[in-house]
Order: sequence, then C-alpha cells, then structure tokens
Amino acid sequence: MAARTRLDFWFDGVILVGYTVAYSYGWTGVVIHEWLGIGLGIALLLHLTLHWDWVVRTTRRLLRPSGHDKLIWAVNLALLFAMTLCVASGIAISRVALPELGIYTLQSPFWYRLHVLTAEVTVGLVPVHVALRWRWIAGVGRRLLAWRPARRPR
Amino acid sequence: MDRRGGPSPAGLAPGAAAAVKFLRQFAAMAAVVAVVVLGGLAWNHFAPSLPGEGPAGGGRTLVARGHIVLPSGKPRPGARPVPGGKLPPGVVTVTPRNNGPGISLMLGGLLEPVNLAVLRHTAFLEAAVIAAVVLLDMGYRRLRRARRAKT
Repeated sequence: MAARTRLDFWFDGVILVGYTVAYSYGWTGVVIHEWLGIGLGIALLLHLTLHWDWVVRTTRRLLRPSGHDKLIWAVNLALLFAMTLCVASGIAISRVALPELGIYTLQSPFWYRLHVLTAEVTVGLVPVHVALRWRWIAGVGRRLLAWRPARRPR
Repeated sequence: MDRRGGPSPAGLAPGAAAAVKFLRQFAAMAAVVAVVVLGGLAWNHFAPSLPGEGPAGGGRTLVARGHIVLPSGKPRPGARPVPGGKLPPGVVTVTPRNNGPGISLMLGGLLEPVNLAVLRHTAFLEAAVIAAVVLLDMGYRRLRRARRAKT
C-alpha cells in the first residue's frame, strides 16, 4: 500500500479523535481543550494542503453533472468555514494557552458565541465528512488492519 | 510523481520538487484560511450578531431556582413540588451566571473519569451521524444500481 494512503488514513484518524476529544470540553478542561484546538488548527492546515489536489480537481469539475462529488464538495466547503472560524474564535477567546505565551486575546462575547456556534456546526459536519468517504475508509482500513497469519517456513 | 496540482518546478530533484509543491499548496491553503478568518473579523466589525440572536451584549443570564408561585400564592401549574418542602412558597432564588465573554477555567476537572460521559456522548453523536449517512449512501447506491439494471 502506498505510503501516502497510509499517511492519509492515520493522520485523518488522529484528527477525528483529536476533534472528538477537543469537543468534549467537560472532560478535557480548558487547558487541554485550548492546546488541542491549536494543534487541530495546524492539523487542519496540513490536511487541507495534503488534499489541495482534490480541492482543485473537484472545483474544476463542479459544472459536470456528478451529484455525489458536488455533495462532498459542499460539505467540505461548509466544514472549512465552520472549522476555521471555530479555531480562529477559539484563539480569540483563549484564556490559558495564548496568555501563557504572552499574547492577550480579545475576550469578546461575539467570538465566544461564534466559537460555540461553529463547534456545534462542526460536530455535525465532521461525521458527515467522514461518512461520505466510508468506502475508502473501509477499504484502506481492511487492508491496514487485516490480521495476516505468519507463513510457516517449509 | 503526482502532477495533478500543476507541473513540478523544472530543474529540481524529485524530493525538492515535492517540497516546493507542498509549500506552494500550503501557501494557497493558508491564503484560503486567512480569507475565512478575515471574513469572521469583518462579520464582527460590521454586524456583531449571530443567526438567531440579537446584537452581542454582556452575555449575562439569570438562572432562577426555587419554587415559583403565582401571585395568588398557589404553585404554578405543572410545577414540581420542592423536595423536602424546605423552601417557603413564593421564595425564588436568582443566581447570576456569567456566560461570557469567557468560560470557567475548570482546572480542577482535567480528564476526570467521572466526566468521561461527555466524551462518550460526543463519540455516540458522531457514530450515530456516520451510521445514518452510511445507511443513506448505501440505500442511494442500491437504488441507482437497480435503476441502471432496468434500463
């Protein structure tokens, strides 16, 4: 299996788990939530960069009639907006991570509400984003996680 | 090498070309993200309210706790009786809760097992949405295949 496919599978899995943990603010507390959120922002940039070819290709093909691709493209675009604003507003209202680095944040109610709203939109869109690729995930996962019995030497 | 994102820079070794391509795509993506963030800043500047809300205010809400009674002295219809009946009728305690701009630090509750229910809830929510979309997708594909088989 190509190294790139393996990288995509594990990296995307880590992002999904990271987002799930970061969204569970009541469990992580604010310190982990904020640092994880900043990490997710960087991971989001890398994820988008790794899939930039897909973005360009699908955007060019949007005029052609292909319902499935259009749906995925629309979900991904909405997720791009929601997650970017979620991370940006999280940075704007940071109370621990950024002040620890000597950066004082905005702390305005607008950014707080935007953070809550975009986090809720994102938690709805992330599983849709994952599920629309379930065939690829199932195929790669089956190959990666398949138990291969060791061959006995004859 | 994957050339779908554009031609690789001429005269560069494959490793260096891949790095240049990655940096070029990273810059493009960072520009897209910057545009979205600038959109958020513009939103805050020109119309600082969110869908379904009024203009941004102080973010303070009042949480009323206690036994709410009607002016006649009778309990509000549908109101639950006070456990133990300790609060005298008519007493309403009001607790101001600060909903913003910040959130409580919750420094004492990091990764407490008792709060694992929050993580379980998020995971369950995501799993439910994934299952629903997968089922819908499978149904849609089956329907499309059946239609194709007919024609």
